[in-house]
Amino acid sequence: MTEATVTVRGLAKTFYDEARGEVKAVDGIDFDCRPGEIFGLLGANGAGKTTTLRMLATILRPTAGVARLMGRDVVEEPAAVRRTLGFYSATTALYPRLTARETLEFFARVNLYPEDQVDGRVDFLVDRFGIGEYVGARVEKLSTGMKQKVSIARTVAHDPPILIFDEPTVGLDVINALEMARVIREIRDEGKTIIFSTHIMSEAEKLCDRIAIIHNGRILASDTLEGMRGATGRHYLEDIFVHYVGGVEEMPGFIRESGSSPK
Amino acid sequence: MRETRGSNAVAPDRENGSRRRRVLATLFGLEIKLLLRDKRTIFIAVLLPLAIYPAFILIMRAVSRVGQERLGAASYEFAITGSEVELARSLVHEALALSAAEDDSAEAPANFIEQVVDAPDSLLRAGELQLVVEGMSREGYREERERETEGDTAVVRRLEELADVPVIRLRFRNNSELSVTAAQRMSERLRRLRVRRRDRLLRESGFPLDSEELGKLELNNVAPAEKEAGALLGLFLTPLLVLLVLTGGSVVAADAISGEKERGTIETLLTTAARRGEVVAAKQLAIIAVGMAITLINVANLLVYVVLGVFELPERFAVSVEPAALVVVLLLFLPLAAVVSAALLALSGYAKTYREYQIYFFPALLLFMFPAAAAVLPGIELRSAIVLAPVANVSVAVKEVLVGEFDWLFLGLTFAVTTAAAIYTSRLTARALSVERLITAAEIDEAEFVGGPALFPKRVLRWFGLLWVTLFVSSLWFGGELGVRAQVVLNVVGIFFGGSLLIMWRYRLDPREALSLRPVKFPVWIAVLIGAPSAYVVGVGVAQLADLILPVPERMLESFGEYLLAPDLALWQIILFFAVLPGVFEEIAFRGVLLHGLRVRLRPVALCLVTGAIFGFFHIDLFRILPTAFLGVVMGAVVLISGSIFPAMLWHTLHR
Repeated sequence: MTEATVTVRGLAKTFYDEARGEVKAVDGIDFDCRPGEIFGLLGANGAGKTTTLRMLATILRPTAGVARLMGRDVVEEPAAVRRTLGFYSATTALYPRLTARETLEFFARVNLYPEDQVDGRVDFLVDRFGIGEYVGARVEKLSTGMKQKVSIARTVAHDPPILIFDEPTVGLDVINALEMARVIREIRDEGKTIIFSTHIMSEAEKLCDRIAIIHNGRILASDTLEGMRGATGRHYLEDIFVHYVGGVEEMPGFIRESGSSPK
Repeated sequence: MRETRGSNAVAPDRENGSRRRRVLATLFGLEIKLLLRDKRTIFIAVLLPLAIYPAFILIMRAVSRVGQERLGAASYEFAITGSEVELARSLVHEALALSAAEDDSAEAPANFIEQVVDAPDSLLRAGELQLVVEGMSREGYREERERETEGDTAVVRRLEELADVPVIRLRFRNNSELSVTAAQRMSERLRRLRVRRRDRLLRESGFPLDSEELGKLELNNVAPAEKEAGALLGLFLTPLLVLLVLTGGSVVAADAISGEKERGTIETLLTTAARRGEVVAAKQLAIIAVGMAITLINVANLLVYVVLGVFELPERFAVSVEPAALVVVLLLFLPLAAVVSAALLALSGYAKTYREYQIYFFPALLLFMFPAAAAVLPGIELRSAIVLAPVANVSVAVKEVLVGEFDWLFLGLTFAVTTAAAIYTSRLTARALSVERLITAAEIDEAEFVGGPALFPKRVLRWFGLLWVTLFVSSLWFGGELGVRAQVVLNVVGIFFGGSLLIMWRYRLDPREALSLRPVKFPVWIAVLIGAPSAYVVGVGVAQLADLILPVPERMLESFGEYLLAPDLALWQIILFFAVLPGVFEEIAFRGVLLHGLRVRLRPVALCLVTGAIFGFFHIDLFRILPTAFLGVVMGAVVLISGSIFPAMLWHTLHR
């Protein structure tokens, strides 16, 4: 088996919420990801998927635990980690006043893609994602589908070994969602490490090589679909999900801490 | 092995340096590109400052030209009518000839043209004529007035007293400016003629002088015209620049972070290899570039229009500014533009959305515009304090430079203080971007940024810094304008008490804890009654000691005396405004909130000294710092020993 490019050990994030006090959004999770594999985080809204991925992308700082991407620690070398990473989510928007080409050039440069190869890389991306027709148009003038293509192209602009897709299909219609899945598979086949989060069972079922079921900030199971079928004796991911999640209803989801005033 | 490691440790660093520069350059390029593609930015940051001087000058010239034209070229057409036409005509022409012969240049010669017409009144109403002069005999006038007033006895009696002289009546239309001036100027000339005639009569009967020569009054302005204009320019230059940088920078700043947050591009940007410091630095540089561009445009305008005099300025605005002065002004404006830009970016960083940013913008505008107008203040006495206040010091310094006064110490300090403020504000912004709740639009906040009571001790000094600034600005701005009572209420109740409430609300402090609201035993009150007067004696001693080090100017004591024995206040008012209100509310702020906030960090003795010193600094007056600091230390000790704030309130009130 190839060596893990992403290793996560005991990663945790605690938030403070006016109403609920301290909330453990991510409560000590472990997983590994490898090149040429799509690792799926499957969980309901609020399960801790986005928080986990944001910690990997160094947008959020972990409260505890370790995460390494390409051997680099997210806390100690955040800028180096981000260089090895392409991050895509429904909320990572593009600059409306840049053209498609300028967008790709900017993201290649700012991620330190070798300067003399930037033009070639951009040409390659334009060709590969089929955005040649509108490459000179400002992003604000593009349709949703066109923007999506440019957006994926900018995610891989610097040819990173690791890609994170945080619920990338949210808000997309069926055609665009299928296109997204196709592109992700393609990138996987190039030998990249892909972390993909979703709350849609069928999407995870079809796309992911390995799935981690995350609930209340904890990973309840992590295996291939086949492995999970074997362990639970159920066929559909939906049933498997309910099997794991339903079994922990009695568990304290998060630890409340009241009376935080210092004495 | 060791060697390899050694050389490796250096090489990546060097490579890193050039990489970081490349990232920064790329980010800055992005910012500038985005900026130049925004029409609003171009308009507000470039066109507006570029156009404002020419527009101003054009308007001034147009105004003065219109004035000239109205004075010079105006010609008034009039007709003469009435029963005594010939008499009136000879008087009018004599009066007109008189003023033409010895025009006193205050007014340009006016052109009066007589028209001989049939129905002058209807032509006046139609606007064909500006004036109708009616000559009447005394009898005719009397009959007409009696008819008009229907025999009003008072009028009739006055008419009886009227000597047998001809009456000239000027008829004009009040709704036509031309007609009004025509009437004014004609009556002015006729009056002068009357004075002339009276003087002639007096002389003929043996009076040696003209009536005008009985005494002479002359007004003489000794300020050179260009200094006067320099003072005027100095007054509005800084506020103008700050306003331009604020509006221009604001569009960019709003877009730079809160706009990016709103569009979601900030998250994209923060997942690139760029560091947060670099992201902030690039934005900062872009906004500063805009601020600088506005400043340079302004100074260039000044150079073109004022120093080189490419266009003739109206006399009142003709300034003679040395190019050297202009360089100094530019040097002072650069850090000013940087402070304003940095502050705008900090606001943008703290705001989650565009709209939230706009809410913050208005107070920020006021915050900067008030000190920017500091040059308007007459207070030279405040100079030593103003040099420490960024923005305000630049305002004063620029005004002084423009009238040709170069106080290099003041200028140097001003530059240093404003630059320091710019650097500090920039760092605030960088911090704003590393606060997670500010960059991600998440609804949940991280524990350390929420600010419960645990956070308060870390922030207490910042809050009191803010209160100090508020106090300073309010005393600069309202100083003297408000009555003494209003001033006390504003400072003590508004700033100290209001600030305390705000802090307690913000950090959810328990008032009983924060303010040491605890009952005390009876003997403590006795102790206070004894302690207060004796401490007062010591306090006077301290004041005298301070006087040795820093002699209080006589004038200041006088004004302080006036202040205390101020305008006919009743005794109860003096007690209320100068003893009870400060006693209660200053204690709440300083021995309550401040003491509580610092308690965790300091041991009792240090705690008393520090709260005392801060209390002293709040009495902005340099000469009162030491005595009040002493009082503050004593009050702090009283609270700590008795465990309650009430004895301190009583003590403070008694002391007052």
